Amino acid sequence: MLGTIIRKEIHNSVVSFRFVVVFSLLLVLVPATVFILTNDYVKKVDEFSSRRQGIEDYLKTYAHFNRLGGVVEPSPPPLPATALVRGISSDINLEDFEDDPLPVMFPLLDLVFVVAILLSLAALIFSYDAVSGEKEDGTLKLMLANGLPRHRILLGKIFGGTLTLFLPFLVSMILGLIVILVNPRINWTGANWGALGLVLLGVAVYVFFFETLGVLISSRHHSSSASIMTSLCVWVLLVLVVPNLSPYLASLLSPAPSRIKVSREISRLTGVERDNLGRQLQTEKMRELVKRFPVLAAPISDAEAKTRAEKDPAFREALEARTREVQAVWQEANRIQGEKAQVLSTELERKEAAQTRLARRVSMISPLADFTYWATDLTSTGLRNIAHFSDLSDRWGRAYTEYSRSKIAALQKKDPAVDWWNTAVDVSDMPRFEYKEESLAARFRSALGPLAVLLVLSICIFGAAYLSFIRADPR
Amino acid sequence: MIWTIARKEIASNLLSYKFFIVILLTTLLLFTSFFVLYKDYKGRQADYELVRAKPGEPIAVVPPNPLSIFAKGLDEAMTRSFEISPIGIDVRTGQKSGNAVFAFFPAPDFVYVVKIVLSLVALLFGFDQVSRERENGVLRLMLSNAVSRATVLAGKWLGNFLSLAVPFVLVTLIGFALMNLDPGISFGPSGTGRFLLLIAIALVYIGLFLSLGILVSALTRRSASTLVILLLVWSLLVFVLPNLGTLVARQIIDVPSVKALSEKRTQIWTREILLQIVEQRAVNFRGDGAIRKRHLDAINTELNALEADYRTKFDRLVRLSKTINRLSPAAGFVYAATELAGTGIGEESRLKSEVIRHKDAVLLEMDRGVKEHPAFVYRYRTVGRVLAEGGLFDLAWLTIALILFFALGFVAFVRYDVR
Repeated sequence: MLGTIIRKEIHNSVVSFRFVVVFSLLLVLVPATVFILTNDYVKKVDEFSSRRQGIEDYLKTYAHFNRLGGVVEPSPPPLPATALVRGISSDINLEDFEDDPLPVMFPLLDLVFVVAILLSLAALIFSYDAVSGEKEDGTLKLMLANGLPRHRILLGKIFGGTLTLFLPFLVSMILGLIVILVNPRINWTGANWGALGLVLLGVAVYVFFFETLGVLISSRHHSSSASIMTSLCVWVLLVLVVPNLSPYLASLLSPAPSRIKVSREISRLTGVERDNLGRQLQTEKMRELVKRFPVLAAPISDAEAKTRAEKDPAFREALEARTREVQAVWQEANRIQGEKAQVLSTELERKEAAQTRLARRVSMISPLADFTYWATDLTSTGLRNIAHFSDLSDRWGRAYTEYSRSKIAALQKKDPAVDWWNTAVDVSDMPRFEYKEESLAARFRSALGPLAVLLVLSICIFGAAYLSFIRADPR
Repeated sequence: MIWTIARKEIASNLLSYKFFIVILLTTLLLFTSFFVLYKDYKGRQADYELVRAKPGEPIAVVPPNPLSIFAKGLDEAMTRSFEISPIGIDVRTGQKSGNAVFAFFPAPDFVYVVKIVLSLVALLFGFDQVSRERENGVLRLMLSNAVSRATVLAGKWLGNFLSLAVPFVLVTLIGFALMNLDPGISFGPSGTGRFLLLIAIALVYIGLFLSLGILVSALTRRSASTLVILLLVWSLLVFVLPNLGTLVARQIIDVPSVKALSEKRTQIWTREILLQIVEQRAVNFRGDGAIRKRHLDAINTELNALEADYRTKFDRLVRLSKTINRLSPAAGFVYAATELAGTGIGEESRLKSEVIRHKDAVLLEMDRGVKEHPAFVYRYRTVGRVLAEGGLFDLAWLTIALILFFALGFVAFVRYDVR
């Protein structure tokens, strides 16, 4: 029986005007977006390889340890999935004078955007009159007069509606994928296809959520014109307001100190305050040293000290003890102040992480945010990938430090007087940074949270829709 | 007669569920937006107090713009601190938040609320004006009286526009007045003028969508179809076109990525420094001042050429993407509103050229051994200049689209079969 109702719903929708409009829109928009994003990806790949070549050319002639680190800084390659999902755009770069402000004004269009905005809106357009419309037409009465339990009707309506929207999307998606498949420059691995499959699963759940929401609102209203108003308002709140407000709310509820303030404080601790502490410790140490080596009591110029040390071994010993102790004192001052600074920066990191977590949690009330996190984490274009990239960079950083240390030691062994800091070196054997995408299983595990929230939200809405529908007066 | 019909529209709106829910939503959103962006502005203001240049320091930094509460635009990029040194401009990025969720979703400022929510609301006020009234039979009754169709349409437009505009303007003005209570925020007469102009542009934008709603309503027989068409047209105009436009423009104009530029910059810089040291070593560091100067000059020349090339290409990209995006009234509205508020792309690019000019002046002084440098002062473009440099075009384009939609709506309505 359920099958019959689903078929009836699909049949009703397929012949409707709204289906034709939505389907045509998807048929044009999805392949067009994929086509443009694919070209953009290919351009990015070309630029990335020419950038890499530029760095290699530079390294051949000019590599020197003083500034090598800045030149070989890790940079993520464009990922094949960006032909569909752009995620957090790395183009917004505020760290350089020449920034690229265009994405700040208008976020770039991608598949997540099409699904998150258009499909959710279409799902409400398909479902706002599912109950109220039938009530107005009088068909609800007729249907219920048969021996049909209400939950079957409800399930039939929701599943029928979800399928009528998801299947056309899938068709348009297949057209988009043809664009990707025929492009010889794009080679997707099994993991890429797996990730896409999981993203599509998310699309199905996302569409299901909005279909159910539409049916819920529809069964709470007597007229379909009132139900479309409520549906649109709820849609605006869930899709366009909650996610955008969440980082601002989080910064109010879980404030983090401003980065500037902390960096000022850190430079004060490791600058002026470190110098004061060092001088104070040095004075104390000198007092002790003078007791042990009274020769150090009289002030003496560096040149005089040098001549005297050559002649007088006892004085040399005292001088060496002084150098040793002074170094130790400043190391101690650096350590003490460094620890204080460390406390501040750890605290800042902790608070920023707490704020990000809160913002993410608040935003997860919105199905749009859940779907966005699910899709971007699966395709390595989201928050998770930022952390993964920074892990890889750290690992590479350690390998690089190790390499430079051994290289410098080798240089010094060859020529102890060498200025290894500012001399060109051969770094052909240097470890190069290679970005490796996280395994699909790990990405899946991390993205499971948002999907679980989306599922729970869908189930809650479904429960509410069921309650509303069994209480609905079909007259 | 127009006024009578308008009054009837207002009265029926006031009693409707639609009016109640839509005005509630708009009011809630506007106040929330004012509150969170006000807090954000205060935070950025406190940061500015920490980074502002002390007398004589070669630092170019402008305070956050109070109008960014309403149109945040590029204010965050504009209020970074630019430190000038012999090797160029160093950007301090400490003002950026460490909360990565900000990067996912656009700021929910006044411009965002108007661009997305108010346009949708205007469509909802317009969509049932003709087709729904035909279904109800009201239209037949109304037209059986001695009243012209033009009067009916004008009355409907006016009544619905007022039902929407009056609460919107009231809420916005209350928000603005509340912000003026804070002595830490000073809009000044110019800021207030700009804000009022911002409201005016928002009203034209809302009027445009109302006319579009009525036009589609007069082209369709059933109000359900009207709504479907309108919602899809709206999503195309507000979301798809502006966001796709920039991508399309990037396909046409090749602009190197910011990352490529910064890598090139590091390479040039470190290469010249190495060459300088090698040269200095060869002459045993005798007269190394001249050598250093020569290499610094080489760095600056090459970097300037590189950056000028980037800027030229980027300006072309901005121009093209603006042209494409202007197909959508939402983009026109965003451009006009952010430029008026002083947070738009044009203002940002002007600020950057001013910073470069300041850098060149400071470098000349550094060459002469001057230690104290004049403070960097940035004056925002006047409203007149903003209007002359594209603002008026956007405003005119929105107005023309409004009139065009209304005129087409009138033609469709005249030909409309009211049975």
